[in-house]
Parts: sequence; C-alpha cells; structure tokens
Amino acid sequence: MHIVRKFFHYLNPMDHLGDKKYSVIFPLFINLLLPILSEIYVYVIAANPMMVGAYIIFLNVFFVIYFSFRDGIQGGIITSVISVIYYFYIIYSRHYSNLQFSSGIVTTIILGFIYLCLALIIGWLKESIDSLIDREANEKIRLQTILQQLPVGVVITDSKGQVTQANGKIEDMLGIKIPLGYTVGVDKSLIPGRQKSRQISSDKSPLFQSLKMRKSVIGKEFGYLRNDGKHLYMQVNSSVILNRNGEVIAAASIISDVTQQKELEKRKDDFVNMASHELKTPITSLKLYIDSVSANIKKYHDSKIDKTLISIKKQTGKLQELVSDLLDVSRLQTGKLSFTKEKFRIDTLVTETIEGIQGGEKKQRIIFENPNPLFVYADRFRIYQVLANLITNAMKYSFEKKEIYLRIKKLEDKIVVGVQDFGIGISVSEQKKVFDRLYQVSGKKEKTFPGLGMGLYISKEIIKKHKGEIWVESTKGKGSTFYFSLPLKGN
Amino acid sequence: MTKKVYIVDDDEGILDAISLILEESGYKVETSSKGNQTYERVTHFHPDIILLDVLMSGYDGRKICKILKQDSKTSKIPVVMISAHPSAKKHVMEYGAEAFLSKPFETNELLDTVAKFTNG
Repeated sequence: MHIVRKFFHYLNPMDHLGDKKYSVIFPLFINLLLPILSEIYVYVIAANPMMVGAYIIFLNVFFVIYFSFRDGIQGGIITSVISVIYYFYIIYSRHYSNLQFSSGIVTTIILGFIYLCLALIIGWLKESIDSLIDREANEKIRLQTILQQLPVGVVITDSKGQVTQANGKIEDMLGIKIPLGYTVGVDKSLIPGRQKSRQISSDKSPLFQSLKMRKSVIGKEFGYLRNDGKHLYMQVNSSVILNRNGEVIAAASIISDVTQQKELEKRKDDFVNMASHELKTPITSLKLYIDSVSANIKKYHDSKIDKTLISIKKQTGKLQELVSDLLDVSRLQTGKLSFTKEKFRIDTLVTETIEGIQGGEKKQRIIFENPNPLFVYADRFRIYQVLANLITNAMKYSFEKKEIYLRIKKLEDKIVVGVQDFGIGISVSEQKKVFDRLYQVSGKKEKTFPGLGMGLYISKEIIKKHKGEIWVESTKGKGSTFYFSLPLKGN
Repeated sequence: MTKKVYIVDDDEGILDAISLILEESGYKVETSSKGNQTYERVTHFHPDIILLDVLMSGYDGRKICKILKQDSKTSKIPVVMISAHPSAKKHVMEYGAEAFLSKPFETNELLDTVAKFTNG
C-alpha cells in the first residue's frame, strides 16, 4: 500500500506544487515508455496509421503539459526532446519516400516547437505558482516567529471572531490554553475577573468590540485573577484588519501585562501620600508652638524676636504649601482630588486672594478693578488655588516695581480671568511645556526660581476638571499673561 | 468653670503642642498617646470635649469614636476628629464625630472649634 501511495504521490502534479527539487528521472523514465505505449496501441487497438499518429501526438501533448506542470520547464523540455527524438526514429525506421520523409521532418520540427512553447509557458506558470507559495510560506514563518518572540500577548481572529492565532506569551500571561475554534463574543469568557466568581464577559472584550464597531479600541485595562492566584492587570489594544476593498478580514488584539507598572505606580503614589501626611503632622505642631511663643513674646514687647517669629511662621507656611502641592499632585494622578462646587462671586474671590498674597510685602502693585459682581459655579478653594498660583507666579517672574494686572471678562458662555505681568516672559517653545508636571521656566543667566514646578500643572488640572481652559500669551523679555476660563453653563 | 479637654493622638509633638495652646487659653487638658482605655479614661476624667486622631499606629480613631457615641455615659461629649487626610472629613461624620480638623490647622481654628463645642 505504501508503494502504491508513493507512486500516486509521484504521479499527482498537485503534490509537487512548491516542490523545488525538479525530478529529471521520473519524466525521463515515463517518456521512455512512449514507444512501448504506441506499439501496444498499434497492435491491440488499431493499425490505421492516421489514428496512430493522432494518438501519439495526443499522448505527447498530454505528457508535455503534465510534466511541465509537475516538474516545471525542465520536465517539459525533457518530454519535448524525447518526443522529437522518437518521431525522428519512426521517420528513419519506416523507409518513407523522399516527399514523405521531408514532410515528416517539417511536421516533427513544427510539433517540437509547439511542445517547447507549451513546456515554457506551463513550466513558467508552475514556477511562478511555486515562488508565490514559497513567499507566502516564508512570510508565514517570519510572522509566526515574530509573534512568538513578542513580549506582549497577541490574539488574532477571523472576521467572525474565531481565534486563528494566539502566541505563547498570551497563554503564559493568562495561564490558560486558548482552545482552537474559540469564538470571541459568543463562547464563554476564558478570563476570570478580579474575583474568581466574576467572569469578564466575553462580549465586552476589546476584540469583540473592534469587530462590532469596526474600529480600534485603545488602552482598555482589565484586572483579573489567574488560576494560580496571582492578580494581574492587562492593557489591551485591539483593531480590525481590512482588506483592499475595506472589508473586515480579521481582528487582532495586543495584550500587555502592566501589573508591575501598576504596582510601581501605586507604591510611588502611596509613598508620596504617606510622606506628605507624615510631613503635615510636625508642621501642625510647629505652627502651634510658634503661635504660642509668639503670644508670650508679645507680652514682653520684644519687636526683634517678634520679627524673627514672623519669619519662622512664613517659612513654615511655605513648607506647608509645598507639602499640600505635593499631595495635590499625587491625588491628581490617582484621580482622588475631590471637588465641591458652589455658586460664588469670583470678583470677591480675586480681591480676597490679592489681599491675602500682598499682605506684608509691597514689592509689586497688583491692580484689579472690577465693579461688577460676577458669579461662577465652581470649587471655591480650588479656584482660589489657581488664582493664588498665577498671582504668585506673576510676582516671582516679574521685574521689581512693575505692576501686575488682573482682569475678569464675561463672555457669552464663559468667564475669562487674566493675570498680566511685565516680567521675564516665556519663549514660544516653552509656552506649551509650562503646564507640564515639574517644569520650570529658567530666567536670564540660568537664574533659578524657587518652587517645585507643580503650581501650573495643578492649576491646569483644576481648570480641566471644571471644563474650562488655561493658556498663556507671552513675549520673551516683555512679560506674560496667563488666562483661565470657566464655563457658565453645563457646569 | 474650667473646661476640660481630652486629647488622643499617637504623635507626642501634636499632643504637646495642642496641650500648650489649650492650657494657655485656660483649658484643663489630659492627653493619651494610646487609643486603648479611652473609654475608661473618659468616664473617669469627664472631659467637655474630646480631640481624637483618626489614624494612630495600632488604634483606629473612628472605632474609638463609635464606641464613645454608642454609650449613654459618653455619647453627649462632643468629639473633634483630627486627620491629615482632608478627605477623611465625610467619613468621620459617619462615625458620629461633631467636628473635623484637617492637619495642618491654624491655632485659631483649633481654639474656635474647641470654644464652639464647650460654650454650649
């Protein structure tokens, strides 16, 4: 049976698609059977010379096509050459007349030419198919290797959501094997949720969403509990793959394990949180002590010590602000900063803020004239923070004895507050960065300014939470105006 | 009559500073850096107000507050909870505390709060 199967394998031209080892022996061997086959025909079936000729030619055409398809150009040429040699042998051996002889030679040459053409065309076709198959196979191997080596999990499905490919990384990550034929959005989810009892519904998977909406899903996060008890966070991106006609042919999902990242982030946030709280306690007692000493000193009317105590109190206040800024930044990042909105007069708040800041020092004059009461609906304390930050920045970065202007403008749907200084200004390239976390504008001769570079970042986030906008207009060396807006409706 | 204040906080600095300020303002102060025995000490000392730290190492100020508020002997005494978490405010109210001070607070804030609940 094995030999029979092997023989049929040799015979079947389709089995030899993509086969680079062109066999010479097989066509040679089969073609040498040609005289025997025609002799059998002559003696067993018919002796009509016309029929014999037609039969031989038919047999040869079949062989040429067959071998050029099975073995490429080489097989076709071998068949053609053997046929032509056989024809010449017949013409030579049959003692034809001169006319018959020469017409036989011409016919043979024409037939040989036709055979060669057939061999070349079909052989070329076969070789083209071979190289296509080859290229596809190489591409597949290349993709497979890359897929397996990727540090992220990859799942690919067809247009109906049935998994066609999944790399090893995803199976390592999930700790499960993805069964063949698994269909996303139809079959039960393979992934347990954070609690063992809760499964992440499989029609919520980004892959299924991508297929349904025909668009990409970016940065979805899932927490889940692996069978070995480990809690993991994965970040999933998914998108559909379209063909040239814009039809969905597949969908792919890239899954990264962000557990470590999350843990680090959490640890960092916890640390900042804890450090800030720990710092707050000594500041509290420090302030109480200062007030107590200050109250006692006043009884003895010692102005010198009193001045020193005012300085100590001021420095403690600065320390307190830094700590609360630090805490605000960490809360903003974890999304834990809370807002309590109320209706209040922003013009009053501006006046109060200016009074509070200008208090002792009168280096710069802050000018604010706004007779109209203007109401906003916002978190009063947070807006105070933004105002205080913009005003202290204006004072910090502006030249001495220059005025600072504050203006409030009511537009159709929003209120815009502007703080203008005539200080060092900000270059265009720096203007975008000033609202980034921990960014600071440096002045002439690399003069540094105090602060941690958190104020504008906090202000931006506060305004963003109020659905407002914050921006700056500035000319280097001439000064800056910082604006923020608060919407009047829908807030 | 001298008003009495009982303070529970695991930070000696805070205990000392608050006592200093309150004593200067004429209050009689007793302190504890440990949360246990709060109930016993309170029933013994009969303070007019209790200042209680929310998070102490080993003791939960909220639980202590709940215990005090559940007992008829102590439930009438106003409790002011102190925390560095400003967001803790809404939670401490759930445990029955009368007021909340967020660290770092001002001397005036402290005095005003204590005065408000002891002059009633």
